[in-house]
Amino acid sequence: MQEKKATMHALEVKQLTKSFQGKEIVKGISLTVERGQLLALLGPSGCGKTTTLRMIAGLEIPDNGEIWIDGTIANRGNKILIPQKQRHIGMVFQDLALWPHMKVYENIEFGLSANKIPRAERKKKIEEVLNKVNMQKYSREYPGRLSGGQQQLIAIARAIVTEPKLLLMDEPLSNIDIRLREEIRQEIRRIQHETQITTVYVTQDQEDAFLLASKVAVMNKGIIEQTGTPEEIYNSPISPFIAHFIGESNMINIKVLGKDRVLTPWGELDCNTKGRSAGNAILFFRPHQAKIEKGGQYEGVIISRDFIGGVYRYHILTSGENILLEDNNFYESEHKVRFTFDKKEILPF
Amino acid sequence: MQKQLTLSFSFTFFLCLTCLPIVWMFGNSIYEDGSFSFDYYRDILFTGRYVKIIANSLILASITTMLSALMGVSAGFFLAKTNLPLKSFFKICFFIPLIIPSYTIGIAWVNLLGKSGFLNTQLAHYLHLSSETISDFIYSTYGAAFILSINLFPVIMLVTEYSLKNLSPRFEESGLVTGSSFHVLRRITLPLITPAIISGIMIVFVLSLSEFGIPSLLQINVLTTQIFTQFSAFYNEKAATAIAFPLIVITIIIIIFEYIYLHGKSFEILGRKPARNSIQYHNKWLLVGGTIFFTFVLFICVFIPLLTLILNIRTLTSFHDAFLLAKKGIINSIQFSSIGATFLTFAGFLLGYLSEKVQFKLKNSTSTFIWIFFAVPATVIGIGLIKLYNRPGMFFQNVYGSLWIIIIGYMARFLPLSTRIQTNYLKQIPYSLEEAGSTTGATWFQVLGKIVFPLQFNGIIATWLICFIFCIGELGTTILVYPPGHETLPITLFTIMANSPDDIVSALSIIIVFMTLLPLGIFLSISRYITRITISVTS
Repeated sequence: MQEKKATMHALEVKQLTKSFQGKEIVKGISLTVERGQLLALLGPSGCGKTTTLRMIAGLEIPDNGEIWIDGTIANRGNKILIPQKQRHIGMVFQDLALWPHMKVYENIEFGLSANKIPRAERKKKIEEVLNKVNMQKYSREYPGRLSGGQQQLIAIARAIVTEPKLLLMDEPLSNIDIRLREEIRQEIRRIQHETQITTVYVTQDQEDAFLLASKVAVMNKGIIEQTGTPEEIYNSPISPFIAHFIGESNMINIKVLGKDRVLTPWGELDCNTKGRSAGNAILFFRPHQAKIEKGGQYEGVIISRDFIGGVYRYHILTSGENILLEDNNFYESEHKVRFTFDKKEILPF
Repeated sequence: MQKQLTLSFSFTFFLCLTCLPIVWMFGNSIYEDGSFSFDYYRDILFTGRYVKIIANSLILASITTMLSALMGVSAGFFLAKTNLPLKSFFKICFFIPLIIPSYTIGIAWVNLLGKSGFLNTQLAHYLHLSSETISDFIYSTYGAAFILSINLFPVIMLVTEYSLKNLSPRFEESGLVTGSSFHVLRRITLPLITPAIISGIMIVFVLSLSEFGIPSLLQINVLTTQIFTQFSAFYNEKAATAIAFPLIVITIIIIIFEYIYLHGKSFEILGRKPARNSIQYHNKWLLVGGTIFFTFVLFICVFIPLLTLILNIRTLTSFHDAFLLAKKGIINSIQFSSIGATFLTFAGFLLGYLSEKVQFKLKNSTSTFIWIFFAVPATVIGIGLIKLYNRPGMFFQNVYGSLWIIIIGYMARFLPLSTRIQTNYLKQIPYSLEEAGSTTGATWFQVLGKIVFPLQFNGIIATWLICFIFCIGELGTTILVYPPGHETLPITLFTIMANSPDDIVSALSIIIVFMTLLPLGIFLSISRYITRITISVTS
């Protein structure tokens, strides 16, 4: 008898852990994904994101924790309650794993015939899915004859043709060049939007995560450090790791003196300390959140300048700290400038 | 569940087939008249005569290994690192001594260097040696080592060539920036491939230690021939088992040493074939030296022995007589080897899958454990099978008195080999290809049938042919277990060798050579037409 829940997330993971050879890779992570949502699991390599995905797929057995798919429990601890092949999951692998001895049509057909779908229905579904990914004319080709981008689309078609409850994607864009990456990313977004398949997308690329996902979970060393919309993650990181991992950032050691009062290299400042008690902390702001202006509060010297297309990025030495600023105007190196912050956050030390 | 059951069954099958007879045999040798006794072992380990036999075995294996390493490493280097003319032709020819049974080369060289042999008379004349001195050489441990190294050097040649060809060129190129090519060869290339060469050397040592055919032909007193004598001549199977004991111990020590030595050695350099070729040596003198060396090896190892056998036959009547004499043996050999190869391929596939594709705690130990059994001497397996199957009871008697005991013998001897070949082919199929199948809801059998089998097709064909070739030439186990009326071709040859004319013996040897080379020829011709499926999964 399968255990079911009244409150149904499309996917719910509770306190999942997994160790390999005595080393804990996933350390009790929890997350939820709603129906039709695309969640990006973002983190550096080795942080446990692929292991988490493989546990959801049933390819790895967790040590502890629970996985609920569509309100039904799939495993409790290391006890498998729904075997992998009954989880109705589609998966796109990092190396795509297209079967080289089967034509595109046969690659897509495999899952349907394994599930005993009648031939006529199979044909219809395959045509539909090939239309969806705009690959109709390649159905009789072997995957080895297709370009990298076309192979990506076939891998996606194969994963969604069985109309899975959950689509899992394991860094599918990691091996293709930047230009093609952008195109395929748009295609993934379109296909996911049209099919409304609940998707978990594993990536170490912030751009992939932010452009595709409505919700991002950032993983580090086996735990999820923050979950939120891309804007929340970017603008209000809650840990130095996230601040550093996502985009360019300035992080300066400071001391919290009391409520909304901090000691910085530029002297004492008023700043929202978010209830933090007195002690060491980090002042965080993005390069674009400070600007150079004549009447600015703080002074520094430009050490170097990079042109990054559209704007200049300046390395500024100020009160013994090196900070990064972005500005549209051109300033010479060793030029003295004044600047102010638009926004700043206090992070734990 | 399908997967667990099938694989557990295949491993249990392996244990029953290969492990059980040997354990049974050793168990029996220490249990006599209702109590445990180590008398036979005491006799073996503490008497001068047996110490000498053990030393003889070790000397034979050591000299064979040294000669094979010398020839194999050089040949492998020339194949991988130079563009010698007719390289592919030489390579195919050098395969021949490995594939044909060692005793056929032995028979040829005995014919040449024996007392009235052609080469014996010529050497005696030109080198002013006595005919006995030369024939004493071929009937000595050194002569046996010479013939065995002809048979086994291709193992080291292949390992060397493979590792040199698969060595990433970046290691050598980064050395070439600062040093000469020979400096790079000495300081970078050779040290990088040493673990692979050591592994090849160990295999050759173990195989020459457990060789029965050549020592038996040349009447060299080593452990394997002693086991056979004790069993067949004196019917003393307990003494035979006790003699097998040091052989097994030495083999296990060597394999453990190899395992420890190679453990953690960086084999990632030998991954997939790199996109670019490794650096080549174009030195003129090296090419001249290589060509002379290749020609010399070709003559010693292939042309001279095969030509001797062919010239010995003289008339077609000898062939006719040989055919009549060995007709039953030929039919039996083809029949038994085909059945044996089919079972070996099937069981080897499952065991290869178990040791390569299934994650479990003792995964690495399992593949080493299976491989250890390839080193068990054929005669030991033979005695083990007799001990286990020669007993009252309908099942045992039905097996023992039929062709199935020979098939079981083939399986016990070559299952580790077929497992190893299949494992190497299975390594090339990424895990994700199977996982992609199972996430679609397919059962393990569906994944196996539609994904793994088709991708493994070349490996399955290769395994079948290699097993067929090895079964055709098998002597050490079959000679002990074959029931009356079930003699194979090698047994016919061994039986008639002592009292038949040279031309018949040579004709039979040529028939065995033909029967082993024919499948290889077929494989080489059709392999071009088998679609080579390149696993072009983006990685």
